[in-house]
Amino acid sequence: MIVVLVIALALFFDFTNGFHDTANAMATPIATGALKPKVAVMLAAGLNLVGAFLSTEVSKTISHGIIQEDQIEPFAFLPIIFAGLIGAITWNMLTWLLGLPSSSSHALFGGLIGATLVGATVTAIDFGVVLSKVVLPALIAPFTAGVIAFAVTKLAYVLTRRYDGKPDGRDGFRWGQIFTSSLVALAHGTNDAQKTMGVITLALIMAGWQDAAHSDPQLWVIFACAFTIALGTYMGGWRIIRTLGKGLTDVKPAQGFSAETSTAATILASSALGFALSTTQVASGSVIGSGLGRRGSTVRWRTVGRIGMGWILTLPASGAVGAVAALLVVWLGTTWGILVDAVIAVAIILWLFWRSRQNAVDASNAMSEVADSGHAVNVKRNPPPTRRQRAILREQARLKAEAEAREKAAKKAKAKAAAKKAAEEKRASDKAKKAKTNGGAR
Amino acid sequence: MTVTIDWIAFLQVFAAALLGAVLVVGFYAVALRMLVRSGRAPVVSPAEFTDAITVISEKEARRAAKAAAKAARKSPLTEGQKRLALLAAYGAFGLCALAVLGGLILIVVGH
Repeated sequence: MIVVLVIALALFFDFTNGFHDTANAMATPIATGALKPKVAVMLAAGLNLVGAFLSTEVSKTISHGIIQEDQIEPFAFLPIIFAGLIGAITWNMLTWLLGLPSSSSHALFGGLIGATLVGATVTAIDFGVVLSKVVLPALIAPFTAGVIAFAVTKLAYVLTRRYDGKPDGRDGFRWGQIFTSSLVALAHGTNDAQKTMGVITLALIMAGWQDAAHSDPQLWVIFACAFTIALGTYMGGWRIIRTLGKGLTDVKPAQGFSAETSTAATILASSALGFALSTTQVASGSVIGSGLGRRGSTVRWRTVGRIGMGWILTLPASGAVGAVAALLVVWLGTTWGILVDAVIAVAIILWLFWRSRQNAVDASNAMSEVADSGHAVNVKRNPPPTRRQRAILREQARLKAEAEAREKAAKKAKAKAAAKKAAEEKRASDKAKKAKTNGGAR
Repeated sequence: MTVTIDWIAFLQVFAAALLGAVLVVGFYAVALRMLVRSGRAPVVSPAEFTDAITVISEKEARRAAKAAAKAARKSPLTEGQKRLALLAAYGAFGLCALAVLGGLILIVVGH
């Protein structure tokens, strides 16, 4: 029975993950008008589904790495996962309602770690794996994505820049955004759907329904997670399109194209090596990096700090909720503990859902962390000229000054010539006058 | 408890992501540049004219189309040079698509 509960809860987490993260892939193409919001959401849902089938490396990291199964009593294991999932879902829903920047993936890791620390022992967590596969990627990946986005945005602008003021063709990046945003949705499927597959596989192994030697997720698990994340993406999209369609961010097509390419490349490369990344953080890092890649842009450190604080808080906060849920299981016993946990979680989720229906959808509660990241960079409407443009301006000024000097010299020479001519004429007339006078005297 | 961190894996991710992004963005930007050179500067109107900051208006889109057509008429290139630029543009688009496909195949095959 508890296995079924854990699987149901894990799939519900998968749904909230898709619901929460639609904006990651589709914030920029909607903001630049590359895709109609409805098309963008459907595309994101479809490609999340496909992406879930591409790789299972991240799933293996979750099912066979973070938690050391041999350090936990078999009867205590499933309640711990159950408590961890409750922590993750509650934190995910709460941040969604409050419009706080958060990562679904870190909510899951935090919940599982918190519940394991309370429900089992410290030794049940492999901190080496947590550090190398969760914490360090969380710190490095947004930075990496930002650096790559910065570099490729510069490249895109340099390769398409024109100095004669004629059309530069950058509008064409709007076409490209259809493909790059699709790639981000695909990458999201390869990384995020895997996390739930890993949790379900872990539960199946502990229940004895799967051989521990084979940590690959079973086919029905892959199908279930793929469809659930796609459904969540589709359902979540209808909520965000109402705000992202209004375009909160100043993202140009070339910038959006570069940001999405960087996000997709970073997530896909990480998925292939089994790093469980937060797609929200990677996409946000890319949006900030690509914003800085535009000339004359500056960072709004206060906004960056607020986003960063949200990220830092996610792991311990969801860990605390997971730990409380696990504490209830420890105090009340497995059956009653799980029952109380389930009732409290359902009550919280229903309350949060009810509260969300009361509030109008606006920029503060629309899960648009990625769009929000666009505000972390201040881009000038009229950027300063590039070095070559400065050189062209200098050359134009020099030519103008030369022409003016030439004109002035010509005028001066003309005036001089006129004065000379007048003097000669005067001299000639004086001479003639003198000759006339002399002739008259003779 | 010893904690071993595979720093090489992080470098691999960075190098692979950088290479992939540079190839995709680079080829795509070169393709657009060549399209402009061939006298076919792309003017892509937004899919929907929302009130987003960077979404241009219908009037601006019409003006951009007119400017592109004027620039194409005044191009100093011969017809042969324009055709060559168009071919280069299609080639660069193709290479961009190949880079994406190659990356995906590497992930699936690696898996």
